[in-house]
This record gives sequence, structure tokens and C-alpha cells, in this order.
Amino acid sequence: MSLGDPAGIYRAPELRQSSLVLGWSDDAGGVGRKVTEYLNRKLKGQEVAEIDPEDFFSLGGVAVRSDLAQFPESKFYACQAHELVVFRSDPPRVEWYRFLNSILDVAERHCRVKELCILGAMVTASAHTTPRQLFAVFDSAETKGSLSQYGLVGDMDYQTPPGERPTLNSFLLWIAKGRNLRALSLWVPIPFYLARVEDAQAQKKVLSFLDERLNLRIDFSDLNQEIQEQNEKLAQARSLSPEIDDYIHRLESNLMLSDEENGELIKKIESSLRERS
Amino acid sequence: MGIRLYQEPRLENPVMVASWPGIGNIGIIAVDTLREMLGAEEFGEIEPWHFFYPKRVLIRKGVLECLEFPGSKFYFRTMEKGDLILFIGEEQPAEGGRVYAEGKKAYCMANLVLDVAEKFKCRRIYTSGAAVALTHHTMKPRVWAVPNSEGLIREIRGYENTVLMSDIEGRGGQGNITGLNGLLLGVAKRRGLEAICLMGEIPVYLQGLPLSYPKASKSVLEVLSRDLEIEVNLDKLDELDEKIERGIEEFYRQIPLEVRGQLDRLRHVTYTEPSEPGPITEEEEQRIMQEVEKFFKRRGEGG
Repeated sequence: MSLGDPAGIYRAPELRQSSLVLGWSDDAGGVGRKVTEYLNRKLKGQEVAEIDPEDFFSLGGVAVRSDLAQFPESKFYACQAHELVVFRSDPPRVEWYRFLNSILDVAERHCRVKELCILGAMVTASAHTTPRQLFAVFDSAETKGSLSQYGLVGDMDYQTPPGERPTLNSFLLWIAKGRNLRALSLWVPIPFYLARVEDAQAQKKVLSFLDERLNLRIDFSDLNQEIQEQNEKLAQARSLSPEIDDYIHRLESNLMLSDEENGELIKKIESSLRERS
Repeated sequence: MGIRLYQEPRLENPVMVASWPGIGNIGIIAVDTLREMLGAEEFGEIEPWHFFYPKRVLIRKGVLECLEFPGSKFYFRTMEKGDLILFIGEEQPAEGGRVYAEGKKAYCMANLVLDVAEKFKCRRIYTSGAAVALTHHTMKPRVWAVPNSEGLIREIRGYENTVLMSDIEGRGGQGNITGLNGLLLGVAKRRGLEAICLMGEIPVYLQGLPLSYPKASKSVLEVLSRDLEIEVNLDKLDELDEKIERGIEEFYRQIPLEVRGQLDRLRHVTYTEPSEPGPITEEEEQRIMQEVEKFFKRRGEGG
């Protein structure tokens, strides 16, 4: 098994005590991709390193998304003025342990990262109008205590149900814990009917926490506009379709929909958002 | 990536018996039964994180407490007539959704297991798996034995209820042993270590079902216990077998009469000593397989 360093460093960023924000490109509601893109755009992130995909992805062809051929990317961006490193990647298909360790090797050795924040989305049977909470899992009780002022919901008890496997985020959090790197994994709820489209409200929830925690002072006016537009589109979809309105109303009342109704709502919302974009 | 030994027991002339999951979990049930019955003590493991994706996370009050990986553990038991090392791999280090390991990781794991075998000077290694055979679930499964050196063939011929590949009609001594239960044999050969794979027969029509087949594990254990000169109480395995057999019978009754009629003929197949009404011809074998495949396809489509 080859254990060579799979990371390529373009230039060493000048960072002293930075934080790493990590997002996966295929998250529900576009959370990982959009949040990392947004941070890079707003904070002028510069590409500084990447992990070679060869050992971690099946390179038997390319996937096509939105008419474009895709190729797995695993890149680091440095926002020097803010002591922030952003890592965005497709989730690896094999060699997870080596891949996740490579991320932390680059972060700790080349970017002097002292804190890791892993972004995640959890698909829920709730309505988009329900106020969003931000759940967190910490590497230690100390980290949890030090982040108590940010309104995170951090009292979760959980164990993997039979037949399922832990998430890649839990795997990474565990590796960070083993390295004594302060780390937390964030989980923002995404209404199931927005999981395959973008959920700007969920993105804002995560970004607001990062803004406060890392003292980024981001102007969110563009994102607020996006949220308003999405809410308007959803409200319009409800007003045009009594069926959509009924489904969402039931979710707002904490009532479950049947599998068939779930499928119907996803289909209608996705096509409605596409028509109006 | 390596081996962690919690203790280094003094073992005399040990034999290693290793197994990973496979069709019907035949080998792993046999080795695990041996471990339980002999009260074998865990003494080491292969560090799992390079090989496996974790299997369970435990979070308490928002703090990650632990992450568990599939185990690859070594056990030992001192015995009157030669000591024993057992290795049980909870999963094969397979990638891309495959069940069986192959490639670098499989080779690396096989070598780590054999490092332990060599460290404790094991005189022989056994692995165990499944042999998919044209047999019936009411028949006593035979054990197919594949050694990694010619010198072992004579010995194997003396085993009861055991056949070599060349005894299986139409195989001409050829075949494949998929995954680590087979690979370990090859890597052992490369390292000059004596090894035998014992495969319990599972009926061809059960190979795709998500069930264990302890009846074949029992056959494997009978061969192993005779060779290792140990007494094995198979009562627990008998209980498990009875329970699973009831499920198999229920499944068998759901098979259309026409297909079942063909499968019933397997009750009379023995390749080495044909009995009435005679072995199934190649043409008939193909027809049975086609019927079985058709049945499962219809079943899969909800028909």
C-alpha cells in the first residue's frame, strides 16, 4: 500500500493560528459547497494546496452534472487576513483514513490550523418555515464548553443504528480528536424537499455561526436577498398548489407525510423552484 | 498500519485457523464456534483504520465518545496436543461495495496475519470458507479441501467427508477461492508456510440468500477437530442449524413445483460415488441453474 504524501502545496500561506472550515461538495441543500464557496468569495480565499484524487476516487470516467463533466476536487483555500483555511472536496470513495489524515496534515503542518469546523447537513421531515437550529458534535467536553455562547444545540445522544455506518464527518472528528486538534462537527437541518436543491436559509445559519465565531464581519445582504427570493418562490408554489400547501402545512403542524406524499412534495417543489429560476 | 499484540503467549507448535466472512458465513461460524467452545483468549489485533470504514459511532451529550471499526482479532488457546491460534476477521477489507477483498489491502492484511503465524512459529494454517455445490440442503455438506503444497494431498485424502478439487466432477482439479480465505493460502505458499483451506458445501440455490449455513460449518469443524485432535461439542451449532433449516424449508416450499422438482434431484447427487438415479448430466445441471436463476429473477421483480 503506497503511503506517499498525496497533497500538493502550491504556496505556503502565512498563517499563525488559523481555523479550518471543511465542506463536502455533495451535501444536502448544497450546504458544504455553497458555504465554502461563499466564504472564499467574500473573504478572497486563495487556492494554496490540493489532494491528488488518484488514490481516493474511482477514476473510471467522469460524472456529468448540470451538463458539465465533473472531476473530483479536494482543494485548500487560505483567507489570510482572517486566519481562515477553507477546504472543499468531493467525499473520497476509498482510503478514507489516509484521505482524512492528509487533510489534517496539510492543515496542521502548512496552515497552522488550531481548530477544525466540519460542515454537515441532516435531512429532516420538517418544513422550511420551521426556525432552524444548528446542532453540533464536539471532540471533547472542553471544546463544547468553550463554544457554549453560540447557541449551538450540543446535547445530542446518538449511536449508529444497525445496518448503517457513521458519517465521514464523524470519522474526521474522531481523527482530529486523536490528534488533540480542537474540532466540532456542525449539523444543520434541511427540509427533505430542499435536499436536492439549494437551501439558502440553512447556508445562512451555518455562515452566521462562522461569522460570529471567527469574527469575519461578513455582509450578508446578498444571501439575505437569496433567502427572501427562495421564500417567495416557495410561498408562490404553495399559493398555486393546494396540494403543496397542504403537505407543508401538515409538516408545520408536526404531522408526518406518507412516503408517496413525501415523493410528491419533493417532485413538485423541485420543479416549481426550477420553473421560477 | 500494523499488528497490536496485548500479550505474547508461549505457544508450542501451534496451528493457526483463520477466517473472514463469505457465502453462508461458513468459515467464520466454524472458527467462532471453536473460539467460544475452547474459551480462547484474545491476545492481539490488526489495527483497523487503514483497512476499514468505521461501523459505529457513539455520541454522548454532544461529545464523540468512540468510533468502532470491524475487528480483525487474534485468539489463543494452549492445548495438550499442540496449541492453537485463531484469527477472526469481522469484515474483508473490500472496497467499492464489494464483499471480498482484493488488491493491495487484501495482500497487506494476509501478510499481517501471516506475520503473526510466523512470529509464533505456526506449523500450519487453516482457512475456511464456502464451496458452492450442486447439492441439496437436506444432504450432509462435504468439505472441499485445497492445500497449498503437494505434500498435503495424501494427508487430505485420509480426511473423512472431504474431497479434493479433482474429485469434483467437471472441475479437473481447477477452481477459485475468492477473497482472503483463498488469498491467505497463496501468500502462505509464497512464504513457505503450509496451509489448507476447508470449504463447506452450500447448495447452489442458497448462495445468494442472506443467510448463514451452519450445517456446513459443522462439517468443517468435524474435519478440523479430528485433525487438531480436539473434542468439539456441536450442540449449539445443531440448534442454530435446526432454526435456519426451518427457514430454508419455508423458502424451499415457495419455489414453484417445476423448479423444486429439478432441485429435488440434487438429493441424489454425489459426484464421487454416483447413486441412483445417477448423477445429473451437464445439460441437466444447466437447466436447473437456468430455472433457479429465472425463479430468483421473478422473485426479485416481486413476481
